[in-house]
Amino acid sequence: MAVEPLNTVGHDIPRVDAYERVTGRATYTRDIKLPGMLYARLLRSDVPHAHIRSIDTSKAEALPGVRAVITHETHQLIYGSGSISGGRQYNDSVKDITKRLRHMFSNPVRFVGQPVAAVAAVNRHVAEEAIQLIEIDYEELPFVLDPEEALESEAPAIWPDGNMAHDSQNRQEPIGSQLGDIEVGFQEAEQIFEDRYTTAFVQDAQMEPRSALAHWEGDKLILHTPTQGVSNCRHDNARDLGIDDHQIQVICKYMGGGFGDKNGSYYFDLIAAMLSKETNAPVMVELSRKDDWLGTHGRWHTVQDYKVGVRNDGTVTAIQMNALSGMGPYLRRSGNIGGIDVYGCPNIDRKIYPVHTNRMVSGNFRAPQYPQGYFGIQSMMDDISYKVGIDPVEFALKNMRRPTEDEPFTTYTLDQCIEQGAEKFGWQNRWRPEPGSDSGTIKRGAGMGFMMFGSTISPSSAIIRVDSGGRYTLFVGVTDIGPGAKTTMSLIAAEALGVGLSEVDIVWGDTDRCPYSIGESGSRTTTSTGNAVMQAALDLKAQIAAKGMPVGEGVLIASATPNPSSDGRRRMCFGAHFVEVEVDTELGHIGVSKYVAFHESGRILNPLPARDQIRGAVQQGIGQALHEELLYDVRSGHPLNAGYYGARHLTHVDAPEIEVTFIETDDGLGPFGAKTVGESGIIIAPAAVANAIFNATGRRMKDLPITRDKMLGALV
Amino acid sequence: MNNSRRSGFMKQKRKNHGHSSSKKTASDQQQEGNDVTRREFLGGTGATLVAANTLPLRAQETREGVDIEPEVADVPRTAISITVNGTEHRTEVEDRWTLNEFLRDHVGLTGSKIGCNRGECGACTVLMDGAPVYSCSTLAVWADGHEILTVEGLEEDGELSTLQQAFMEHNAPQCGFCTPGQLMSATALLENNPQPTADEVRHALAGNLCRCSNYNAIVEAVIATAGTGGA
Repeated sequence: MAVEPLNTVGHDIPRVDAYERVTGRATYTRDIKLPGMLYARLLRSDVPHAHIRSIDTSKAEALPGVRAVITHETHQLIYGSGSISGGRQYNDSVKDITKRLRHMFSNPVRFVGQPVAAVAAVNRHVAEEAIQLIEIDYEELPFVLDPEEALESEAPAIWPDGNMAHDSQNRQEPIGSQLGDIEVGFQEAEQIFEDRYTTAFVQDAQMEPRSALAHWEGDKLILHTPTQGVSNCRHDNARDLGIDDHQIQVICKYMGGGFGDKNGSYYFDLIAAMLSKETNAPVMVELSRKDDWLGTHGRWHTVQDYKVGVRNDGTVTAIQMNALSGMGPYLRRSGNIGGIDVYGCPNIDRKIYPVHTNRMVSGNFRAPQYPQGYFGIQSMMDDISYKVGIDPVEFALKNMRRPTEDEPFTTYTLDQCIEQGAEKFGWQNRWRPEPGSDSGTIKRGAGMGFMMFGSTISPSSAIIRVDSGGRYTLFVGVTDIGPGAKTTMSLIAAEALGVGLSEVDIVWGDTDRCPYSIGESGSRTTTSTGNAVMQAALDLKAQIAAKGMPVGEGVLIASATPNPSSDGRRRMCFGAHFVEVEVDTELGHIGVSKYVAFHESGRILNPLPARDQIRGAVQQGIGQALHEELLYDVRSGHPLNAGYYGARHLTHVDAPEIEVTFIETDDGLGPFGAKTVGESGIIIAPAAVANAIFNATGRRMKDLPITRDKMLGALV
Repeated sequence: MNNSRRSGFMKQKRKNHGHSSSKKTASDQQQEGNDVTRREFLGGTGATLVAANTLPLRAQETREGVDIEPEVADVPRTAISITVNGTEHRTEVEDRWTLNEFLRDHVGLTGSKIGCNRGECGACTVLMDGAPVYSCSTLAVWADGHEILTVEGLEEDGELSTLQQAFMEHNAPQCGFCTPGQLMSATALLENNPQPTADEVRHALAGNLCRCSNYNAIVEAVIATAGTGGA
């Protein structure tokens, strides 16, 4: 299907706010300074599990320049939907029934880094000094860090009825899905393989640490906060503060990265609001990097046990998974583990047990449940392909999910992504039929992974206006977290209206000025809010055609909140990645020497940032594969390496060149056929890298991250 | 997108934001600055900073509250003189202020960012006498007598630097939070090595993290500026 560029859509377009971003003029939350503004700092628990016997704030309060000190004894709010969330942001009913409440300040404390007090002072130095003067008497409790140990009967109880997480109905049931009959599948198999794969906790670690600036105008709260969704953030905070949505204005103009860390609201929004109320002044809560690292969330770590049945011709007949997800003491997100769905196997049994521990909280990080799961299942399948003697690419093409009459897709290109990607990469030349067969200390090898990811369209809104001067103003509640939502929304409007991009102004990131937008999560802004922009623009164009352009002080306005259906067809984006690595068998160093990413995300509206969404996501995936992990000291329960340096994040010198190709389609849904991009690039990077390492060395690395020490240990 | 549309957009943006005409000459600044002593400044304005020139608009709007001094007056202070983006600032600073705090909170130049405040990420990078430094890990008093260049100083007479232009065209910023630091390190590199290879760019920028991990695009923008075409 040929997809040709349109007038604006489909061309490389620099961001409409690129100028602000390269001149330092883009104003992030912490760049704002209001008259009389106070600075706030949080004190965090330095023990993993304890009752607070007492808190003495008298010395802090006596420090000159301190305006307020608040603790669980003075100010208490339930944050989020209790244990179920602090982030299951669309589900208010959960908050009414949940038994595992998460509070703004908690007693007992359940992880190192949990907030226990906050100070507002005339400057940040005074605030920092003051929190060190707060004295807390802890009665320490036993703690548990490992999810498997947490499920043992004698494990320390983080919650009274045990450490397995509750679902939204307060039941301790695993997440799961069953397809066909797993026992029949194993009976049909000629070979059965079992193995365990594990993945580490990794922080989202967006560059901008969290802040929240709150002030009250009467009974209305004005909140500047970096959030991936001003509308959801407003609703979450209104619910937790017990006020109506219209009593909060959330503003987020520029935001220094999210990756899921900034979904919805966070407890420091509430703390800023409380301190502002207490002091009758604007209050800026600033999190340090360490605060942000331990006090927000990261990708849940997993233990995945697989049992897979295969016939001798390589046909997979059964896939069984039993897995644990380490969630920390509160459930901020599901703990699900995805990936098996990409196989067309008729007999599947998945059970995932989200478990509470005394580590920091787990939550969304770019494609929340997928890179872990894809690493597990696609390492497993890659291993089986060698054992049954089939090229991994052939094995993929044989066993991947394909459309059927019962399960149609709006478009389907996974086969093309794999075949064309292998061709471009030069799979036949780079892949070693005999793993580890290179002579010498540097060994090369190739690996691959393939994926599909949901590309649904959800309800979202847009308003567009034209005045008599011919200026179009687009009102959308998006925040521009990096992918370029403002630019994308603007160019969709320009294309649909048939006007130049420079004729469209955009108003964004402000709940008082913009209608509901779904939020920058699930890679849904382009498809969902973009679809609303397109519908509103087409409506406005029709109005102009019928009534003519407005004159004098007149304006024409159109709005839309569409909720299109894909008529029972699955709407997915697809991708296949091919990696060549060089493993230094003396030093354990693993370098990526070639990386080819083939993707289908419908029509690509703006190739320039779309390419970089994939490239950046792949680099993050390589970091997850080779470097990143938050380590804990098992004796003290303290995290050891919170921060970029300690967690060994990729730098310029570690980042290989990534080659990205898009296969374009138009299924007639979404704005001009666009599907999702943002999260899709990270999903198979860890699996593809690990599979390449196997091909290079003959060593199956089953535990992420694959650090030098692990590599050297495996090569001994 | 065609070129004419892009350049049209650029012009429009510059018109909206340009305010460089308010700059004064160095001798003007010297004279004004000399008239203010520390005592007069503390007793008179109560503000914590005297800039020896007309500050950019944003800075005038963002002074700390006047009630700060009486309450926390016993903090050690030192009189310093720092030239920032060609403008000399003669002022007293608290000894504990970092250069980054001085620039962001007291001069009002918020372009340099705090990503970690402990010398790991490079978002706070500025140039001191032409060399990149982490302004989070440099005390303001250490910058006494030195020349500082921040991202706000890269534009000259409303014209973006070639590097800034290349950053725009090559999509080097995603979220944009690391961009000021990347720009400053790359500016220093190109000053010393106008024709770097891609590998030299990577090493020069190794202290500037990008969690969007847009490393490829950033290197491409620097190489495009140098005109070396990679290598």
